[in-house]
Amino acid sequence: MAKPASKKVGKMAVFREDMKKSVLLLPAVILLFGFFLVPIFLTVYFSFTNMALTGSAAQNFQFVGLDNYISMFTDPTTLTAIKNTVVFLIGSLLGQSVLGFLLAYLMRGKAKAFRSVLGPCILAGWVMPEIVVSMCCMAFFDVSGTVNMILEAIHLPGIDFIYGHPMLTVIIANVWHGTAFSMMNFQSALDNVSADIEEAARVDGANRIQTLIRIVVPCIKDTIATNTMLNTLSTLGVFGLIWALTGGGPGTATTTLPIYMYNQGMKNFQLGQGTAIGMLILVIGAICSVIYTRVMKPEN
Amino acid sequence: MGEKTVNAIHYIILAIIGIVFILPLIWLVVASFDLNANQALKWPETWTLSNYIGVLTSSDDLRGFGIGLVISLVQSLIVVLVSGLAAYPLSRYNLSYKKGFMYVILFMTSLPMIAVIVPVYKMFLNIGLLDSIPGVILYLSASSLPYGIWLMKNFMDGVPVELEEAAWVDGATTMQSIMKIVAPLMFPGICVVFIYTFSGSWGNFFVPYILISTPEKMPAAVMLYQFFGMHGSIAYGPLAAFSVIYALPSILLYILSQNYMSKGFTMAGAAKG
Amino acid sequence: MKRKQILSILMASAMLVGMTACGGGSSDGGSSEGGDASAESGEASTEESGGEDADASSGEKSKITICWRDDGTDIELNANYQQMQAAYETWDKKDQVELEFAPITAQEGDYFTKVALQLADPGTCPDLVCEDTFQMPNDIAAGYLTNLDDYVADYEDWNNGMYYDSMVTMVTGPDGSVYGIPYCTDTRGLFYNRDILAQAGVIAEGEDWQPTSWQDILDACAAVKENCPDVVPFWCNSGVATGEATSMQTYEMLLYGTGERLITDDGKWIVKSQGIQDSLQFLSDIYTNGYGPSLSLVLNGQAGNTSAREYLPEGKLAISLDGSWILGNYSETGAAPWDGYEDVLGLAAMPTSEGQDPGTITLAGGWAYSIPENSDNKDLTYDFIQHMMQPEYYKTYIMQAGNIAVRTDTAEDEDYASRPLMDVATQFLETAEFRPQNDQYSTVSTSIQQMVESVVSGASPEDAMNQYATSVARSVGEDNVVEQ
Repeated sequence: MAKPASKKVGKMAVFREDMKKSVLLLPAVILLFGFFLVPIFLTVYFSFTNMALTGSAAQNFQFVGLDNYISMFTDPTTLTAIKNTVVFLIGSLLGQSVLGFLLAYLMRGKAKAFRSVLGPCILAGWVMPEIVVSMCCMAFFDVSGTVNMILEAIHLPGIDFIYGHPMLTVIIANVWHGTAFSMMNFQSALDNVSADIEEAARVDGANRIQTLIRIVVPCIKDTIATNTMLNTLSTLGVFGLIWALTGGGPGTATTTLPIYMYNQGMKNFQLGQGTAIGMLILVIGAICSVIYTRVMKPEN
Repeated sequence: MGEKTVNAIHYIILAIIGIVFILPLIWLVVASFDLNANQALKWPETWTLSNYIGVLTSSDDLRGFGIGLVISLVQSLIVVLVSGLAAYPLSRYNLSYKKGFMYVILFMTSLPMIAVIVPVYKMFLNIGLLDSIPGVILYLSASSLPYGIWLMKNFMDGVPVELEEAAWVDGATTMQSIMKIVAPLMFPGICVVFIYTFSGSWGNFFVPYILISTPEKMPAAVMLYQFFGMHGSIAYGPLAAFSVIYALPSILLYILSQNYMSKGFTMAGAAKG
Repeated sequence: MKRKQILSILMASAMLVGMTACGGGSSDGGSSEGGDASAESGEASTEESGGEDADASSGEKSKITICWRDDGTDIELNANYQQMQAAYETWDKKDQVELEFAPITAQEGDYFTKVALQLADPGTCPDLVCEDTFQMPNDIAAGYLTNLDDYVADYEDWNNGMYYDSMVTMVTGPDGSVYGIPYCTDTRGLFYNRDILAQAGVIAEGEDWQPTSWQDILDACAAVKENCPDVVPFWCNSGVATGEATSMQTYEMLLYGTGERLITDDGKWIVKSQGIQDSLQFLSDIYTNGYGPSLSLVLNGQAGNTSAREYLPEGKLAISLDGSWILGNYSETGAAPWDGYEDVLGLAAMPTSEGQDPGTITLAGGWAYSIPENSDNKDLTYDFIQHMMQPEYYKTYIMQAGNIAVRTDTAEDEDYASRPLMDVATQFLETAEFRPQNDQYSTVSTSIQQMVESVVSGASPEDAMNQYATSVARSVGEDNVVEQ
């Protein structure tokens, strides 16, 4: 390529060249613009209005400034929803990562036949569509469902999971659904950990746990970070699973932010207030995203 | 503890986890063949196909499956195609805005799109896309596009550019080299994107539930949601049969692409750096 | 490096500017301007579209799309469906018009959201919608419903008193115009199983039960629990999923029984009061003492049908606080035929909290056929409504629904009047109270449901009431609430 004659022409040339090369990006940019960015900017805009699904504000909505945000932050349910979201998030993350890692780690070097039976058992929960997962868990954890049948068989008292321990139930459901993803991530990472280093550590007298902590974990720390981020982001957006299983209840026991948003925006008809909660979810997502971006470093 | 004991304990732990994970699904499958199924796992007194026959002979149910398939397949194809095209310049060219663009894409992957469903409803209302299956497809495509682009770009980075250079020498256009050289080499990656997108939308009942109102246009996911909201306590057998049939495409897709999937994960792991 | 960053920032901000402009534009279309435009064209069409309808129908059949709530019952057993089918057969415009049934499959709590979503959209709006009268003020204020004044002006039955005045009031908007033709009303009370109460020693064989205070109800529950351990003593709608049923059949029956109301005479919502606390305490007593059904039964969307169609007829439930329409289930053609129910089932009026005047309390509601503003077939739809509200087809509906008639002539019909317990339910109507006719009620109602569900799942009445106060203030504004 010829060197540009001056800086100005250079910029123009770079720009023109970029545009020519970017034609293939066009469909993506159009789709993202129309159906991703526009809704996000509308969210910002609507969250400052009193727009409603029905009632007089459905016909003529007005700009109400920060009202939706003020009322959101003075409503104790908001705090409950944030708390529930955090509990759901941490519970799901711990469950999925620990189980996923345990499975990936222990499965190494096990008989091929065993692995090829166990693998699909774990994957089955992942492959199932969200709504089927809800349905299975609903029956499974019902007061007269399979879990309680087993508890009864071994003479333990029954547990009312869905209404007595609703948050635990939705976390278990989400862990069941999501563990396979972590497992596969860890499997491919562990495949890259050289067996020789582990062996060497063993020879030096390190026991299993020490090897695990000193050798294996540092080797896959990138995967742990990525996996945690991916799971955080997908867990933050979980709606259908909880909605179909508990509807956010009983009371507000499993009302996470997305459920809260739906209740306020759709069920209570207050679209403006719903979008303000949507903004809160987006902001939390964005914060996670900034951390995520730091970890992932897209230029590499 | 001897190596053998430790190994045995591992097997036991793994077996227990495996059983716990598969138990709900065993219930699902057994219940689907049981005329008098209830919430608990039990051996059916009479095995029957009538639950399945009931679902498969209901034109409403079949239509729901068909619509669901159309939505998920078309959406996955759009995402694969659009993100594949977008990934090419991002992977191959030295664009001045590339870094910024990738940051934006990465940022977008982490926004929970559920948060914007209300404005999407309002926007579709104003542009007449409500109650329209193409509308649902477009929205779902856009929301899974950032992750698709991100994955595709990383997979494409893993395909050595030298192979293409040979093709360019032979006078191949960009499109030809994408189709003939890049796409086949990153097929596992394409599978990952396709499956990720497909399974995401196949289980999604909420978006169509809000955006579609005509009962005849409801995909199977919404029907399943309504079905167990309405009949849950009464009819576990048909519900289970419906669920099994509904889960089949996901399972089939997974089995067909199993090999590619593990390669895809390795690629994603390697490419991620 | 720096240059690239600047470029990307520029690009991003260019996108931003484009977005906001675009966003502003599209939402303007949906707000005032759009609203005005559609209102105008709506008015124009009431006067002119009669001719257009006729023209269109001479070519091909026009279509009336009808929307109601499908609660999981077989459509053939649905009373609205039966009425419409019967009326359609003899309708003089049958050859020009096709009926399209588009019921919404949703829990009661979600039905009104789905209806609002449809009413707002000209593309999917039905031509005929079944509206619960409590939702009407809200939908009228939103401009979703057609003003029927011009239509009913020529409706003879309407103008010569064939419809009860109280029903006419229920479908009249704040502007004094009519927005729907009512098709049923209902009352609420305590349905009880005579056999169980006798076995528990609450009543003697063949005696009627009439509790005179809430304590009487709790005492009866205690007796049932002790003497019939396998029976659920008391059932009332208690969850968010059962929607308005929880607000009206349960909470308002209690609150009104304390002598309080939801709203003051000058239109302020009462968010904290002794009455609210007492009502919640009663519910808390029911559930903490184990008189209620298990939460897994009562907090799902099917709870209403489970109690009325399974537990009550099967003798697994002693007392059910529910609406008069549950009787429709038990007839031969109902969803849960129950032979000889008139001998087993009793209906007692709900007492006031301590038996204070007026001694008993009930609430009455009702449903109406309305025509959405966005309907493109208003004249024909109205014609059909008027046709199907003729006594012969209306009787089909009211017998199947097991509800209370809104027409005076149907009320005197022998088949109708001779239905077991209907005389009692109808009698309640004389002293019935109504929900506030206020366009904020439906929003307040969802807060009520959340409050009730919190209490039955273990929250203290105080906490639940505080939450209710915040949430109502949030929906209707701080200026529109009071504490008492």
